[in-house]
Amino acid sequence: MSLTGTAVALLQVVLTVGAAPLLIGIMRLIRARLEGRVGPPILQPWRDLRKLLGKQRMVSDNTGWVFSVAPLVLLASAALVAGIVPFLSTQSALDQVGDLFAVVYLLLLGTVFLSLAGLDTGTAFGGMGASRSMTITAIAEPTVLVAIFALSVSTGSSNLGAIVATTLAHPATAASPESLLAFAALAVVTIAETGRIPVDNPNTHLELTMIHEAMVLEYSGPDLALIELAAHLRLVVFLGLLSNLFIPWGIATTARPLELLAAAAAVAVKILALASVIAVVEVFTAKVRLFRVPELLAASFVLAFLAVTASFFLA
Amino acid sequence: MSTLIVVLPFIPAAVAALIAAFGWNLTTAWCAPAACWSVGGVGMVLAVRVLDEGPVNAFGGQLRVDALSALMIIFIGVVGSVSAVYGVAYIRTELGNGATTSRRAKLYGVLMQLTIAAMLVVVVADNLGVLWVAIETTTIATVLLVGHRRDRTSVEASWKYLVLGSVGVATALLGTVLVYFVARHSGIDASSALRWSSLVDKAHGLDPGAFRVAIGFVVVGYGTKAGLAPVHSWIPDAYSQAPAPAAALMAGVLSAMSMYALLRLKVLADITLGPGFVRTLLIVAALLSLLAAASLMATQRDYKRLLAYSSVEHMGLVALAAAIGSPLAISAALLHLIGHGLAKSVAFCSSGELLFVTGTTRIDGVRGLLHRRPFIGAMFGLSWLALLAVPPFSIFASELAIVRSGIADRLVWAIAIAVVLLLVIFGSVVVHGLDMLTGGGHSADDSSLIAHAGSVTAGLALVGGLVIAAAVGVTIWPFSRLLHTAAEVLAR
Amino acid sequence: MSETTFVQLLDLAAGLVLVISFASLWLRRLVTVTRMIAIQGVALAAVAAVIGFYEHESELVAVAVLVCVLRAYVLPALIRRAVLAGSEHREVESIINVPASLLAASALTLVAYAATRDVVALSSAPQVRAIPLGVSVVLIGMLMIVTRRKAVLQMMGVLMIDNGIALVMFLGTSGVPLVIELGVASDVLLAVFILQVLTNRIRNKFGDTDLDQLRALRD
Repeated sequence: MSLTGTAVALLQVVLTVGAAPLLIGIMRLIRARLEGRVGPPILQPWRDLRKLLGKQRMVSDNTGWVFSVAPLVLLASAALVAGIVPFLSTQSALDQVGDLFAVVYLLLLGTVFLSLAGLDTGTAFGGMGASRSMTITAIAEPTVLVAIFALSVSTGSSNLGAIVATTLAHPATAASPESLLAFAALAVVTIAETGRIPVDNPNTHLELTMIHEAMVLEYSGPDLALIELAAHLRLVVFLGLLSNLFIPWGIATTARPLELLAAAAAVAVKILALASVIAVVEVFTAKVRLFRVPELLAASFVLAFLAVTASFFLA
Repeated sequence: MSTLIVVLPFIPAAVAALIAAFGWNLTTAWCAPAACWSVGGVGMVLAVRVLDEGPVNAFGGQLRVDALSALMIIFIGVVGSVSAVYGVAYIRTELGNGATTSRRAKLYGVLMQLTIAAMLVVVVADNLGVLWVAIETTTIATVLLVGHRRDRTSVEASWKYLVLGSVGVATALLGTVLVYFVARHSGIDASSALRWSSLVDKAHGLDPGAFRVAIGFVVVGYGTKAGLAPVHSWIPDAYSQAPAPAAALMAGVLSAMSMYALLRLKVLADITLGPGFVRTLLIVAALLSLLAAASLMATQRDYKRLLAYSSVEHMGLVALAAAIGSPLAISAALLHLIGHGLAKSVAFCSSGELLFVTGTTRIDGVRGLLHRRPFIGAMFGLSWLALLAVPPFSIFASELAIVRSGIADRLVWAIAIAVVLLLVIFGSVVVHGLDMLTGGGHSADDSSLIAHAGSVTAGLALVGGLVIAAAVGVTIWPFSRLLHTAAEVLAR
Repeated sequence: MSETTFVQLLDLAAGLVLVISFASLWLRRLVTVTRMIAIQGVALAAVAAVIGFYEHESELVAVAVLVCVLRAYVLPALIRRAVLAGSEHREVESIINVPASLLAASALTLVAYAATRDVVALSSAPQVRAIPLGVSVVLIGMLMIVTRRKAVLQMMGVLMIDNGIALVMFLGTSGVPLVIELGVASDVLLAVFILQVLTNRIRNKFGDTDLDQLRALRD
C-alpha cells in the first residue's frame, strides 16, 4: 500500500463526505426552483446536520445494541466505499479490495443494518419500513451483481480500477449494448437504493409510502445526523460509481496533485450532472405505487441479465 | 408443357375473378367444380408427361412438377371437386333459408377458389420460400371462410385459427430462413439456395448442426398447420365453425398441403442429418396426435368436432408413416392422404346436410337418422366407415401398409401404441355413430326435424366421393405407377 | 464505415430490437405498447440499413425503407386503430404478472441462445453472432400471445414474431430474394389486416376484446 495511494483514498473520503450534503442542497434547490419556490440555501443540509449533532441523544429503552450500532456501521461502510471506488485515480490505495463485489456487499451491509435497526425499535413503522426495504434490496442486489458481472466479462476482472482502465483504453466499449444495458440497470438500482422518486420519496412522512423514513423514525440527535450524512454519502458514491464506470474520462491514471485536481473537477461535474437529471426527473414523475416497485426492479434485473448475455454472446 | 404449369393456379384464380365480378349465381357456382375438374385434367396430362420424360420446370425454375407434384395436383382436383360440387347445393340452401346473404356467398366462392389456387402453388413450387408464402396465403383465405357465419362462435374460431395458424406458419418461415442461411453458408448461390431440387443434390454438403435447428423449426411450424399434436387445438374450432364445404376442403385437402411440405423437407433432412432426427420428431407428434384424438373423441358431444378430431388422428397416422419412411410407408402415406381427403370431404359435406335437417351439431340431438333420413344417414355412416378403415375403402389398405412397413422397420412399439389408440377411436366412434344412426329417444321424434329437400347436386357430391374412395381402395390401377414414382421422390 | 463502427451500430440496433420486446412486456398502457412495436420496426429497418450500407448493397437499403414504412408505420397504425376503437379500459391484461413474464422472457432468451448455438458456429461474422437476438424476439412474441388476454396484444405478438424472423433474415443472409421478401411482407400485412377486422367483429359480438370471453368452443 503506497503512501500516495493512501493519501488519494483519504482525500476521496474527505471530499465526498464534505460534498455530499452540498449535493443534496443543490438537488433540493433545483427542485424548488422548478416548482416555483425560492428553496433553502445550498448549505442547509450542513446546517441541519450541525443542529442535530448539537442535540441530546435519546434512545428508547426497548432497543438493543443493533439500534445504537447501525448509524455507525452505515456511515463507516459508506465512507469505506467512498475511499475504495476510483473517483480520482485508477491507482487506488486499496487496490486489492477495490473489487466490485466488495463494494456491493459493503453497501449492502449498511442497508441490512439499517433494516435491522428499524426492526429493533419494535414499532409498526420501523418494521414496515424494514420489510419494504428488504423487498427492494432482495431484487436490487442480484441486479447489481449481474450488471457488474456483465462489465467484468469484457475486462476479465471485477477490479474497479481495471474496468475503468479498460474503458479508457477502448472508448468504443462504452457504447456497446452490454455496457448500455448495464448502465440502465444500475441507474434504476441507484434510484431504488438511495430512496429517490419513483421508488421512495425522501421528503415524505406519509405512512402508506415511506420506506427509508419509516426505518429511521425512532432516531434523533447525533444518531439521526450520522444516518442522514450516510444517506447523502451513499447517493454520491452510487452516482460516482455510475459515472466513472461508464463515462470514465477525466479520471487520473497517476497520483500527481495537478491531475488529481483535474480529476476531482471532472468527477464533480459528472456527479452534478447526474444529480441534476435525477432532480429534474423527480419534479416531473410521480412515485409509483409500492406494489409496482418490484416490476420496476424486475425490469432492471432483466436489463442486467441481457447485459450479461450480450457480453457473452456478442463479444 | 411448362406453360401448363404456370397457367394451372390461374384456373381457380380466374373462377375467383369471375365470381367476384358476377356474384354467386347458377353459372358462376358451377364454374367452381369445373375449375376443379380442369385442374384434375391438367394434373393427369402432367402426370403422363412426367412419368414419360421426368420432371418439368417452369418460370425460371421457380416452379417444378415431378411425379409427387402431379399426384398432388390430381388429388387437389378430385378431392376439391367433392366440396366444390357440394358447395353449389350448400350455398343454394343457405341462400334459400336466409342463413347467408348474396354478398357472403360471393366472398365464400372467391375465397374457396383462392385457397385452391394457393394450394396449387404449394404443390408446383420448387422454391421453399414460395411454398411458404403459398401456405400462409391458404391460412389467410380460409380464416375468412371459418368466419363465414359471423356469429360469436365462428368469430372465436377464426381468431384462434388465425393467431395459432400464423404463429405456427411463422415458425416454419423462421425454419425456412435458417435453411436458406445454412445453404448460403455452405456455398450454394442465392438463386438455388431455396430450391428444393438443387438442395436435394447438395444436401450432403450442408452443415448438419445448423440444419438440424432449421428443420426443427420447419417441422414444428408445418406440423402445427397440419394439425399435429401438441398444437392441434385450433383444428376442432376451425373445422366445426367453417361452412361444411369449406371444412371439407380444409380437412380433406388443405391439411395434406402441410404434410406435403413436411415430406419434401424431410427428404432434405434425411440426407443431411440421417433419418433419426425427423423420425423422432414425427413419431412423437404422431403418437401424441393419436392420443389426443383417442382421449377427446370418446367424450365428444359435437359431431363436427368429432370429425375434426378424426382429422388429427389421420394426420397423426400420415406422420407415423412418414417417420417410418420406407418406400412402402411413403406410398401408404400418400394413399392415406388421398383416402382420408375423400372420406373426410364426404363426411363433412354430409354433416352439412345433417345440420340442415336437425339444426344442431350436438350428437345427442341426432337420433335414429337411418330411419328418418335414410340417404343422409347412409352417407354419413358410410363415410365414417371409410374413416374407420373398413374395406373396401382405401384407408383400410393404407393403414394396413403402414402397420406392415412399421413392423418391417422394427418400430413395433410405436405401431403397437398406434393400433391400441386406433381401436379406442374405433370403439368411441361406433358408439357415437350407432346412437346417431339407429338410437331412439326424445329427439328421435319426427317433428324435431327441419324440412330440407335434399338436392341431386348434394347427392352427386356425396355418392361420387364415396364411390371414388371405394374404387381407390379396390384398385389404384391407373395411378399405381404414379403413386410409386411419387413415393420414390420422397423415399430415397 | 469501418468495421468497428459497423459492429457497434449493428449490435446497438439489433440489441434495441430485443430490448423493445422486453419493454412491451413491461409496459401497461396498450397505446404505449403499440408505440414500442413501431419503434421496433424502426430499429429493424436500421439493422437492414446498416448492413446494406456496410456491404454496399443498394437492394438491402431499399428493403430497409420498405421495412420502415411497413413495420414502423402501416402495421402499427392498423393495431393502433384496433386499440383506439375499444372504449374499454386500455390496460394490459395478462395471465402472469409483469415480473414473471419478464423472467420468463429472460429464460426464453437463454433458450434461443442455446438452440441456435450450431447456427452461430457456422460463421464468425458479427451479423451471425446476433442471430440469437432475432430468435429470442420470436419466442418473446409467442410468450406474449400465450400470456396476454387482449386481442390487440395477441396481434402485437404476431407482429413481434414477424419482426424477429425479419431480424434473423437480415442478420443471417442479408435478406432473402426480393420476390420472397415481398411475398412475406404482403402476407404479414394481410394477416394483421384480417386480425384487425376480427377484433372489430369480436368487439361487435362480445362488446370487449377480452379474450377470456372466447370460450364457447372447448371440450
